[in-house]
Amino acid sequence: MSLSSSPAEKRLRQPPPGRHPMFHRIFRADPETVRAALLFMRERFDGSAEDEVIAKLELALAEVLNNICEHGTRTEAMRLGGRPHAPLIHLCVARHVGGIACAVTDDGRPLPLSCLDPRDLPYVDPAPGDTASILLLPEGGFGWYLIQELTATLSYFREGHRNFLAFIVPVTEALLPCPPPVAAS
Amino acid sequence: MHMTLLPQQDGLTIRVDEKRLDAMVATAFKDRVRSMIGASGPPVTLDLGAVDFMDSSGLGAVIAIYKAMPPDRPLVLARLTPNVARVFRLTRMDTVLNIRQDPDNGIQMESPAP
Repeated sequence: MSLSSSPAEKRLRQPPPGRHPMFHRIFRADPETVRAALLFMRERFDGSAEDEVIAKLELALAEVLNNICEHGTRTEAMRLGGRPHAPLIHLCVARHVGGIACAVTDDGRPLPLSCLDPRDLPYVDPAPGDTASILLLPEGGFGWYLIQELTATLSYFREGHRNFLAFIVPVTEALLPCPPPVAAS
Repeated sequence: MHMTLLPQQDGLTIRVDEKRLDAMVATAFKDRVRSMIGASGPPVTLDLGAVDFMDSSGLGAVIAIYKAMPPDRPLVLARLTPNVARVFRLTRMDTVLNIRQDPDNGIQMESPAP
């Protein structure tokens, strides 16, 4: 899959003059589709907030979407003739005055509510040169910690067969006024 | 998974020629680096200068590589870009792992001082 695009294609992906960027995509949960969605999202939101904010947005979304890929698949006979199916994700991202609002829904397994509890790092502090404790370093469990660090107003509910997760990635500067649309001459 | 092995005078540098260390490549990355490092040999530098994005899967792979090193064989992480440095800092792994502060790229700064 080519990740590059022509200037004309890029222009089509930019928000029209006078508008702030939005992004919506529906895709099956898979590391490849997640990567493609994040790359597209980054291109669309590029310049709509500071680079650091866009980077935090991308990281928070990556963690949320990775979790759906990793834990959302229903193994019991639910659909598709009883075969496991990767959840179908609806992702919506919109630039607002106070931040970048994200809504992620999926039809995978319910999110354990403990994921939303305030959490500490899975962290051990090896003394320098203490090789035994280095072996105890966690290799996972960082995802929800990062999501909680990077986002605000994280909220979740389950309705029917879908998980609904919404949050904001705060911006450090107020929304800049959009340049006025260029008048056709 | 693109990586380049660069033998140095005082060790081995593995340059990661990938822009993203994410869930799509984390396992391949970990396996590849571990096979490149081998069981014994000189100190290893992992050059992450080309990596523009890393998520917690990529972080987990780096930690796994770190843990797999023999105790007497150092692994140094070098040339972190701001996005990669942020993940190490947020998870406080920057206090545990061996990260080289390169003078030429000022990577630990969130934004340059005015």
